[in-house]
Amino acid sequence: TILEGPDGGWGWVLVAALFVCNTLVFGLMRVFGIFFVEFVHYFGESAQAISWISSIGVATQQFFSTVGAALGNAYGARVVVMAGGFLTGLGLILASQATAVFHLYLTMGVITGLGWGLVFAPMMATVMAHFTRRRTMALGLSLSSIGLSAFAYNPLFQLLIESYTWRGALLIAGALAFNIIPCGALIGPQKHSVVSSYMALSVLLERPYITLVLATSFMNAGFFVPYIHLVALGRGARFSDYQAAFLVSSAGIADIVGRLFSGWFTDLGYFRMIHVLTTWAMLLGLSIALLPVSTLTGSYLVVTVASVLYGFCSGALTALPFSILPQIVGVGRVMGALGLLQMLESGAGLLGTPLSGYLRDITGEFFISFLVAGSFLLVAGLILTTQPHFFSRTDPPLPPKHPLDL
Amino acid sequence: MSAPCMHPSCLLLLLLVVCRHAHTNLVSVTENTTVTTEPPVETLSPITPPVAPLTPLQTGQKSVVLTGENHTEKVEVVNPVTLNLECVWTGDNKRLPNITGYWTKDGKTIESSYSNTQLQNDRYYLRKEFSIMSEEDLGTYSCIFGPKAKVDFILAAPYLGEMRDKPIVSYVGDSVVMICKMDEKKSKPINWNWYKHNGTSKEKIEVDSPGHRYKITKDEKKTKLVVHNLTESDSGVYFCGAVYGIGTSMGHMQLRVITYFEPLKPFLGILVEVLVLVAVILLYEKTGSKKENQSGPEGNPDQTSNLSHGENAVADGHSGTARQRKV
Repeated sequence: TILEGPDGGWGWVLVAALFVCNTLVFGLMRVFGIFFVEFVHYFGESAQAISWISSIGVATQQFFSTVGAALGNAYGARVVVMAGGFLTGLGLILASQATAVFHLYLTMGVITGLGWGLVFAPMMATVMAHFTRRRTMALGLSLSSIGLSAFAYNPLFQLLIESYTWRGALLIAGALAFNIIPCGALIGPQKHSVVSSYMALSVLLERPYITLVLATSFMNAGFFVPYIHLVALGRGARFSDYQAAFLVSSAGIADIVGRLFSGWFTDLGYFRMIHVLTTWAMLLGLSIALLPVSTLTGSYLVVTVASVLYGFCSGALTALPFSILPQIVGVGRVMGALGLLQMLESGAGLLGTPLSGYLRDITGEFFISFLVAGSFLLVAGLILTTQPHFFSRTDPPLPPKHPLDL
Repeated sequence: MSAPCMHPSCLLLLLLVVCRHAHTNLVSVTENTTVTTEPPVETLSPITPPVAPLTPLQTGQKSVVLTGENHTEKVEVVNPVTLNLECVWTGDNKRLPNITGYWTKDGKTIESSYSNTQLQNDRYYLRKEFSIMSEEDLGTYSCIFGPKAKVDFILAAPYLGEMRDKPIVSYVGDSVVMICKMDEKKSKPINWNWYKHNGTSKEKIEVDSPGHRYKITKDEKKTKLVVHNLTESDSGVYFCGAVYGIGTSMGHMQLRVITYFEPLKPFLGILVEVLVLVAVILLYEKTGSKKENQSGPEGNPDQTSNLSHGENAVADGHSGTARQRKV
């Protein structure tokens, strides 16, 4: 049976709100790199000590995603997102007063990370609840802000740091982060809604969910490798700095196109979402593996085409692991499942990039790391084929309510 | 190295450095002859050069073969030196047997330097010996062949490494660190000094000045000036000087001390924007819901409940384990 549900209307307003939230969460995370240099200079600490600030922030966000989901289920997404926005801003404002690196760990790391954790899962789940047929498109759009904001924030924060030093820049970043609060307010008053569980821990006992978690973990391990190492790969292939940087830009543009295409195509409903997800995962794996191979030709055009292919597949894939959740766990458990998913897949993500770095260190170049990253995605696709009812032509019925819900 | 071009239109330039007496760091060749945008070295009259340990006076030679119309050569001078500069010109198409040549320093002609040069081996030669003893002797020395060709030798103490061209910003009450570095490849200075511009001249910064606010650390290739407890009057231009036998090489940077009010302005602006947005959204909602209550209970735009109800109905819509979400 096709789920009859909402599509659009106020949902698109929430897509815009989620778009903004994502810039203030993940976009700000990516800006830490600019502050890195300032902190090393000011505090005189090692690069590793300063790197911990960002690591703590990201890890806290991912870990507390489940808490955010649970609280969102208990008290309504609106309050939780607004509280999360407040904490995010507060952490950054307090960080501007830091006199030791440890202060930054606590403020930029823990407090802001906690705020971020409270925002993502409830906000995403709310958007998902407002769409049925256009879900993939809506999510793809709202997630596209991450790349765009990193792009725009770099010059902005460069300017802020030059005018006001890192202290002033953090102060202003905190105020910017407070914009999450009106975004959360847009969610509107929460109605009496039946939520089957706070943290949806029951999903852990279900094979479809576990398969998805496993697959997305592998996806996470390989997904970010080209994002981070593409420039280095380009330089290693003897392209100029600008050429190598342009590879990333072209991948970024292709990402947006792929995102829109994938959203439109998936929402047409010609194919089951699980099949679409598996296909894109495998295509992405192939395109990542293709990247180092393309550098063997020595032709810049060939490598650019490979980068565009990668960007397209990458954008096409991103929203799908999220948009498929309601089908797998049921709408009532989406928020909790989302929080859990974030937390569980983050481990793989944390391992993925250092692993590729390690492979590069021992082989002297990025060839093997890209192949390994691509293979992770192919494995993810294979794992997805073990999804129960994978080979049936219609979506299976939703899992029955589990009595062991927390 | 490629063979010299006999044809005047050839654009190859050769550099020959011959050290008569082998002393390292005597006269070093700056590798980057294409950069002409380096800030000129400021000469400092009021500062007396330190007494360098007595070393036998060094000599050096720089020779440039010119095939075009002009060329610029940077010469790094570390200690007092007697420098032989030689210009070799391949000439133009006229091939006059005799032409006049002369030397200038910083644009001013050196009167005694006029000479006639003859065409030897199809080239014209101009040579002169210069005593570079102190900072005043540094500058641009040019050899000029008739009105046609010129070679500029820019004699200077080692330039300091990259300086930040944007001002350094810091807050009142905070500390700031200013750094000056000398390139790894260049000679290391004998000493480092710091100065602050007080409107008319540079004033040397002493570490034991009242308040103990300054701290200077000196390494071989870099120096740091730390100023604690900043006040707005600390704003201004600061100079670091790398001291060499021949003189001091200066770099400068600007410090701007601001109060917290500066970033506070955009901060408060954004805060106001956030509050206004939240107020507007909540107010809009209040008036919206009032209208709805007046028109009677109808389906809400928020359909979140429908889906979960629909699905829970499959199992048991009114299960006791279901929780109600508070509004």
